[in-house]
Amino acid sequence: MKSRTAGTPVAITGIGVVAPNGIGADAFWKATQAGDSVLDRVTRQGCEHLPVRVAGEVRGFDPGALVEERFLVQTDRFSHYALAAADLALEHARLGRADYEDDPYAVGVVTAAGSGGGEFGQRELQRLWGQGPRYVGPYQSIAWFYAASTGQISIRRGFKGPCGVVASDEAGGLDAFAHAARGIRQGSRAMLAGATEAPLAPYSVVCQLGYEGLSTWDDPERAYRPFTAKACGFVPAEGGAMFVVEDAEAARRRGATVRALLAGHAATFTGTRSPDSSGEGLAHAIRGALREAGLAPEEVDVVFADALGTPEADAAEARAIRDALGGHGSKVPVTAPKTGTGRAYCAAGTLDAAAAVLALEHGVVPPTPNVFDVCHDLDVVTGSARVTPVRTALVLSRGRMGSNAALVLRKGPESRA
Amino acid sequence: MSDRLTMEELATLMKSAGITVDPSELASRPDSRFDDYGLDSLGLLGIVGELENRRGRALPTDADRCKSPREFVDLVNNSLMTGA
Repeated sequence: MKSRTAGTPVAITGIGVVAPNGIGADAFWKATQAGDSVLDRVTRQGCEHLPVRVAGEVRGFDPGALVEERFLVQTDRFSHYALAAADLALEHARLGRADYEDDPYAVGVVTAAGSGGGEFGQRELQRLWGQGPRYVGPYQSIAWFYAASTGQISIRRGFKGPCGVVASDEAGGLDAFAHAARGIRQGSRAMLAGATEAPLAPYSVVCQLGYEGLSTWDDPERAYRPFTAKACGFVPAEGGAMFVVEDAEAARRRGATVRALLAGHAATFTGTRSPDSSGEGLAHAIRGALREAGLAPEEVDVVFADALGTPEADAAEARAIRDALGGHGSKVPVTAPKTGTGRAYCAAGTLDAAAAVLALEHGVVPPTPNVFDVCHDLDVVTGSARVTPVRTALVLSRGRMGSNAALVLRKGPESRA
Repeated sequence: MSDRLTMEELATLMKSAGITVDPSELASRPDSRFDDYGLDSLGLLGIVGELENRRGRALPTDADRCKSPREFVDLVNNSLMTGA
């Protein structure tokens, strides 16, 4: 295994999305760019009577058409999304078995997950208390666990390189990219990286009811409006994205398209005490990510905001952007496409990263659905998409438990203009 | 004896582990490994549990370590006969 230097450019060559607003990068981008909101009443069985009225559900996803039955029976919905998203990412990167069968140790997997397989776990616990321990299936031992998706992707595809799971709160979705870049710099040829979540099951929803900031509004157009005076929390979502990450030079040699470069990442942890401290932590993460990327604040062309959606958290994020980017912080376009799909916990950052890569490729900043009358000193892109040259995107993510992360993506040299 | 495990029933049990296999294929190649059908150790453990529930009795502790359909069917049926 060849070791590479810290400066080795690391590229994203494939995007696989399973999102409430589209399955596959093309469908996702079309809806994201158009600013379509797909937030809707919760319809998932057993959730209808719970206080969370609005969510971003992935509809029209048929796991049986995408993943073999033997993998489906032993995994939760969140892993179904991950397995399908990994396939889509590999296809998008045109990375096939022939590319790594000579060295399966050259490909690794890293995912992040927050809630794990709550739906599967609930079903088995209901069997335990309804019928008895003899009726609990053996896959309960692995399906609920948040490491399940990494393991199953690795087993199904025969990837034997470094495999890991990031458990760092919602910001883990961005941290997964940093782990993947490290895998490449330590000699892996490719890494599958990303996060998917499936928090819309009765047990999982009940677990979220205590979250400060969870929106219980029942109007899909009003339930999630960060950065406005009407901010009333966030709406949960499911789905996520997986990416193929490669050494940029190696990717070019095999003829792959470098869609974006992973230029910088930094993370901080500021605890749960107050949204104020998340602002300071987020600013610190932004500075760290720009330092690693070797970029000045003025070079950031778009910010994909965390957009937690409570007045205090939004104020803290606005302050973080201005503190870290200086005067440029009030001028740079800021967007939060997740207001149209919901906040998919760990996967929210990966969906934003997918949107950011596509924004770099297309030179378009997607809008922030349902958000009007921004009450912070930020240039939030509302209404319709903004066509503007975009070379550098900054993606932000915070967790409710105090993790903050910033990821800097640069336009790939071969991207479409 | 209706209690005996047949290749038909084993195929049905394997289906619950996500493995679709024709009973006649199991019968014609009883020494193929469960691995080759894609059935892993947890899958076989689930089949043992389901079979114990169906028959209302415990199977030998090494039942989930069988490597092939023939080995499994023989072990289960010997156990059912001696226990009857």
